[in-house]
Amino acid sequence: MTNGAEKSAAAGADASAASRARAEFARLISYIVFGLGSVYLSIRASALPTSRWEPLGAGSFPKLVFAVLAVLCLISAVRTVIDLRKTGHLSGLGEALAEWLKVRRFAFALFGLLVIYLGVLPYAGFSLATFAFLLITQLMIAGISKKTVIQSLIAALIFSVGLNLLFAEVFNVFLPRGVLFAG
Amino acid sequence: MLDAFLAGAHQVFAFDTLIYMLIGSVAGIVAAAIPGFTVTMAIILTLPLTFAMDPLQGVSVMLSVYVGGYTGGLISAALLGIPGTPSSVATTFDAYPMARGGEPGRALSLGVWSSFFGTIISTIILIVAAPPLALIAVKLGPWEYFSLIVFALTIVASLVGNSLMRGLIAGVIGLGLATVGPDPMMGRPRLTFDSDILMPGLPFLIVLIGIFAISQLMGEVEDDGKSETKGALIPDVIEFKTWAVMREVLMHPVNLIRSSLIGVFIGALPGAGGSIANLLAYDQAKRSSKTPEEFGKGTPDGVIASEAGNSATAGGGLIPMIALGIPGSAVDAILMAALMVHGISVGPRLIMDNADLAYGMFIAMIVASLMMLVVCVLSMRLFLRVTDIPKQFIVPTVMICCVIGAFALNNRVTDLYLLGAIGLVGYGLKSLDYPLAPLVLGVILGPIAETNLRRALMSEGDWTVFFTRPISAVLLAAALLSVIFSIRSVLKMRKKNRAVTDEQDGD
Repeated sequence: MTNGAEKSAAAGADASAASRARAEFARLISYIVFGLGSVYLSIRASALPTSRWEPLGAGSFPKLVFAVLAVLCLISAVRTVIDLRKTGHLSGLGEALAEWLKVRRFAFALFGLLVIYLGVLPYAGFSLATFAFLLITQLMIAGISKKTVIQSLIAALIFSVGLNLLFAEVFNVFLPRGVLFAG
Repeated sequence: MLDAFLAGAHQVFAFDTLIYMLIGSVAGIVAAAIPGFTVTMAIILTLPLTFAMDPLQGVSVMLSVYVGGYTGGLISAALLGIPGTPSSVATTFDAYPMARGGEPGRALSLGVWSSFFGTIISTIILIVAAPPLALIAVKLGPWEYFSLIVFALTIVASLVGNSLMRGLIAGVIGLGLATVGPDPMMGRPRLTFDSDILMPGLPFLIVLIGIFAISQLMGEVEDDGKSETKGALIPDVIEFKTWAVMREVLMHPVNLIRSSLIGVFIGALPGAGGSIANLLAYDQAKRSSKTPEEFGKGTPDGVIASEAGNSATAGGGLIPMIALGIPGSAVDAILMAALMVHGISVGPRLIMDNADLAYGMFIAMIVASLMMLVVCVLSMRLFLRVTDIPKQFIVPTVMICCVIGAFALNNRVTDLYLLGAIGLVGYGLKSLDYPLAPLVLGVILGPIAETNLRRALMSEGDWTVFFTRPISAVLLAAALLSVIFSIRSVLKMRKKNRAVTDEQDGD
């Protein structure tokens, strides 16, 4: 019994070490991306012409900032590589990535819908685009049933047309009318 | 001074301002009572509504949301054991056991009164501390200001999140984002890649909404396979014992004042806010208590410490914002941005050039805390139902409000594309455990840092001046020390962890 408990505790510790190592690996990639990006931006900033009126021109501050960022990313990346080599628990990356994406599927779907919504907004106008966005996202999160469809329809109507009216009439903030309705 | 005070009071006590503040107070409490929605998000959503108002009216409404929000978090913390906001984590330690022990009304009333007194104490300190600090601050030159910002960013990076390096990286990314667009001195376009979207730069508020709100909302719909545990249902009959509890809170003056002072101090440090203050105040209350074993079992001292501590950060955070023009937290940064939208430059001269506004803000803080108290005492029962609103209504609707806020800022559709892109980046950073507050503060402090650095070198042209001017040298040394201390504590923690692992392996 005790043996079994010890084994499962050891397996749990192993699994958590492996998941920590995978998270570190993901961060390592981010350090590399940010590091390379900052080196590129630092070079771009150095190409900006210097000023005749002051020792530091428009490019000096961004160059300094991105150089500092590159150094910080380099230090972090080296430290992470050393840690990963010490722990050496880096296995099952593919499955972990699939699981990571599975957990976040609604988040990415929500973001995809937001991108479509923002793209359509100038053409369809606030009320119509918002109504469609709210209806689809609410049903995506809650699931489709008779009750959720009715609730979502009502909520979408209130928060699309209602918000538009509230902002236009009370706060004098005019939201996009859409090219379809502008004429 | 008296003139400015009266002018501020005149604006705050206008009927429409009071009505808007009352609505703001309710909105803050409601928003923070919903688990997963922070005070920051509530303030972000309020911002577009204040564009049409006078500056002081707008800021007063935002302050009432702020003060209400710090209190609202306690509702779900006490009744469901889920902190409504990160600022009320320590509240769950004792308020929840107290509520489970059959005294939910006492737990809520204790929290409300402690919040009220915490806010009042912090406002008094704000009124006393901000004007003299501003007088000193106007004497600071660009050298000192630049060093102060470096210090602020290192403090933020070391206090927020789990890793100093990631905090620093996030802060510097923020500074980098702020360099996109026209340069703050000459207006020369930089790093815009000839794109129309990037040409005007990255507006601070778009970054803030994208980083905090959009990424948070995306996080809300993650599905980790665990079924949601619905906390204990709210009992039908709750006895609040309002006045008896007020006396009870006042019977713990040392705890109340100590926790409020901790809140003010933490709030005044850039980057550290209610989320740290409540835990620190709770810890201190436990250490100095004669009965530390009672903590965690429903002792009133725990609730008082946590709630007074987190609410006091509201006043504390305003001290560096009003006196130095450096926001103490993301919420203060939004308040600062709201003033900037109205064309008011925030800095040490705020209290001199717009004294009525500064004093009006002090008065608004007191009015907001009174309103919070009245609203809570009269209608707490109704707010308890807020925690039942399903996620499918909240997440998309709040997202729409973010889009409206981002659009209303400049009436530019291209800002919305930026919002989407920054939201995705924020979500990625959040998933990788980067702290987001340093990034946002980096974006707002970037142009201030650059302007001061360039001004400093314009007159002397010599970098050593930063180390030879005493105040600047002290600030840079403090920045270095904060990094060293932070690295030391990380190393200590690692050593401790290693020792524990070795011990386990040895077994």
